[in-house]
Amino acid sequence: MEKKTKDNTTENITENEKVSVTKRVTVYLIAAMILVFAFSFLVTEKKDFSESENRKLASWPEFSFAALRSGSLTEGVKSYVSDHFPKRDELLGIASGAKRLAGQKELGGVYLAEDGYLINAYEAPKNVEKDIAQWSKLAEKVEHAHVSLMLVPTAVSIYKDKLPANAPDRVAQEMYGLKSERPMGELPAAVQQQTIDRIYGEIQGKADCINASAALHAAAGGEGRDASDAYGDMAPVMEGMMSSVNGEALFYRTDHHWTTDGAYVGYLAFCASEGLAPVPLSEYACETVTKDFQGTIYSKLNDPYFGSDEIVLYSDPSWQLTVDYGDAQSDSPYDLNYLEKRDKYSLFLSNQRSFITITNDAVEEEAGAIALVKDSYANSFVPFLLNHYHTVYIFDTRYYKGGPSKFINEHPEISEVLILYNLGTLDQDTGIGGIY
Amino acid sequence: MVFSSIPFLFFFLPVFLILYYAFPGRAKNVVLLVFSLLFYAWGEPVYIFLMLFSSLVDYLDGLLQERFEGQKGKKRLCLIIALAINLGLLAFFKYADFAVGIFNSLTPWDAKLPGIALPIGISFYTFQTVSYSIDVYKGKVRAEKNYFDYLCYVSMFPQLIAGPIVRFSSVQAELKERKVNESGFVRGFHRFLLGLMRKLLLADQIGALWDILRTAPGISALTAWLGLLSFTLQLYYDFSAYSDMAIGLGMMLGFHFPENFLYPLSATSITDFWRKWHVSLSTWFRDYVYIPLGGNRVGVAKHLRNMFVVWFLTGLWHGASWNFVLWGLFHGTLLALEKYIWGRHVERLPKLFQHLYALIIVVLGFGIFTFDNLGELAAYFPKLVCAAHNPLIGKELFWYGGNYLPFLLAGLILAFPVYPKVQELLKKANSYRRGLISVCGALVMLALFIAAVACMVQDSYSPFLYFRF
Repeated sequence: MEKKTKDNTTENITENEKVSVTKRVTVYLIAAMILVFAFSFLVTEKKDFSESENRKLASWPEFSFAALRSGSLTEGVKSYVSDHFPKRDELLGIASGAKRLAGQKELGGVYLAEDGYLINAYEAPKNVEKDIAQWSKLAEKVEHAHVSLMLVPTAVSIYKDKLPANAPDRVAQEMYGLKSERPMGELPAAVQQQTIDRIYGEIQGKADCINASAALHAAAGGEGRDASDAYGDMAPVMEGMMSSVNGEALFYRTDHHWTTDGAYVGYLAFCASEGLAPVPLSEYACETVTKDFQGTIYSKLNDPYFGSDEIVLYSDPSWQLTVDYGDAQSDSPYDLNYLEKRDKYSLFLSNQRSFITITNDAVEEEAGAIALVKDSYANSFVPFLLNHYHTVYIFDTRYYKGGPSKFINEHPEISEVLILYNLGTLDQDTGIGGIY
Repeated sequence: MVFSSIPFLFFFLPVFLILYYAFPGRAKNVVLLVFSLLFYAWGEPVYIFLMLFSSLVDYLDGLLQERFEGQKGKKRLCLIIALAINLGLLAFFKYADFAVGIFNSLTPWDAKLPGIALPIGISFYTFQTVSYSIDVYKGKVRAEKNYFDYLCYVSMFPQLIAGPIVRFSSVQAELKERKVNESGFVRGFHRFLLGLMRKLLLADQIGALWDILRTAPGISALTAWLGLLSFTLQLYYDFSAYSDMAIGLGMMLGFHFPENFLYPLSATSITDFWRKWHVSLSTWFRDYVYIPLGGNRVGVAKHLRNMFVVWFLTGLWHGASWNFVLWGLFHGTLLALEKYIWGRHVERLPKLFQHLYALIIVVLGFGIFTFDNLGELAAYFPKLVCAAHNPLIGKELFWYGGNYLPFLLAGLILAFPVYPKVQELLKKANSYRRGLISVCGALVMLALFIAAVACMVQDSYSPFLYFRF
């Protein structure tokens, strides 16, 4: 036998030394764990869809020599095995939890912020030019209605004070300053307000731009900003309205959407811009329909430590609604069937529908109609419009084909067009291409 | 296939081990060979034929060399042909693009780049087969008569794609007869698990920091250093973990592979670093290039030439790009300086300064190593210097440093021989204490294993850096 190289600086232990009992037990326990995982993978039923991650899981790749050659076959097997791994949800939670315990304040683009807030980091959108072009096109094509645009910043802006100390998004915003006249382009990272300012700068003149940022900042009470920034002349009225959301959460802790209170503040900004008298929140019936809402950001981490949110719904007892989804009808803008599902935010306007018409017979027909071109942020905002218009038309341009402008021009009762998008998902929004 | 992947750990490995242990004696080699080919084909279904061809060439070369024993000219010719084929294949598949690129930049012509994908592990198995041919020529090993045993050696999956570069001489006897027993399984699996955790819990986590800092704009000087340190730790844990897993798998199968990493980041000089980093590669270059050239038993000028050749090649071996050559020459230069100018002075420094001296140079060196795009290299290095527009410390240092602190600290501490020290201390402790500590250790290991599996499921994508070489 050749001589075995042994070095006492390594973990290599000489052969004649006995293996300790604890080492043996550890090794066999882990070996058993591996076998149990492998076995339960083979016997468990496979799901097509992960409710908790809200995505389709990989399916078993089809065999072909081309796929084998390119390596896509083995990659496919790999993602299949990973997607259907036993206890996947729990393991994802363990991975996030371990990193959280190790002191990480950002996990995969999610800030673990103060008060248990999970806040998506902001990435400057790449398609801004295209977005501006699409929205401008709609504003130009609409013939008789008044068009306004509302861009809603997300929690990363409004709750920047909750972000962990020294977090890049926080530092960038502190450098940008909300009122600063700083020239663009010399910042370490883009900030949402910069994107909004840029888009508004180009759209102004074609459509009225609604300052939802200032309203939300005022409601969040950060940095001494007050209602006069947000509402101008209407500040005294709005201040009274706003007091009802004082101290309430404007964004969900575990989801990327605004809460119904946040949406109400957006509604106030809309009213200020349109010169409408807002309906006070106290006139609505308020109901907490769930306390177990775990939103999209929660799903990224799956760590039970972060608990869940509650969803509060506002309804006006005087509503006489017909909500027409095309293939179904309802008398409420809330579809409570979704409370049984994982993605509870979908209860607003029953998730994704290509075209919805809501008529409120409690409002006379002369009040006219409003058309919304929007993303999912608008779904919880729409109920507040119902007391101002007889009809609300809502387009989801991901699915609505034919162009909203054509429809709007064919319906002279539409006096208002509101374009409403949040800043967090502009690049992912495939519906913007369908606006014309 | 990758060791730290779900398909390997939960399916390939258990099935393989059960069959391997179930089959008797020599049949184990058949199981090993079949699974090794499957392992390779999983990632490289086409290039597997290249590996088969390469090993066939050396196998035949070995036989021919023995046949021509005593006929020096013919024997030498056989060796030269085998070397030419093996190194030619390596040159073609690894360096063709690089060579054409150089050709294009030096001449007015603009030849098309061949665009050849690098076959996984070719640098490693070519060096193994070349060492076999040379060892047969020198009479250090007897030529292998059984092609399947030889192929089993070349393709053996634990060490096939990222080393250690196991020489035939060290496993020839074990290919025929080896002790496969339960304690080998326990020891080997334990070693494998340590490697798996180092890869998933240190290399991959610290690597995430480097991924950010590599391209982060406007970072301060200390953050830029933190970036290079994180790459150094990532590379070390990535690569040494692979060797740990390979050595562990070898032990489970009854093989003894050479140690490859002896806590290199705890080196006290660059000379010391190269005794500890990727040992199987540096000894390969020592035995097959440096010593045949005359080593250090020649005049100073020739010795410097020898060092230049070895370090040029060492750099080039790591990749077909100038930064690797630059990195090799950077280390070669420092070794020459230590040998002829300041080595003795460094030895007289307090230990702490020796460690700092070596670590700073190593970290800086890996800064060259990591950027295979020289433009990115030139953009990153100025960030390391504190200047008017580039402060020493920025807020981002606290952010990144704070977020990754436990991983960086663990990475730095475990880069020193802490684990063997603890083992040694444990031996001296009384049995009650020893029992308590080892039970705690076992519990920590179980928890870390679950965390490692969780990370594996979460980041399904985690390639080994050394696959590129």
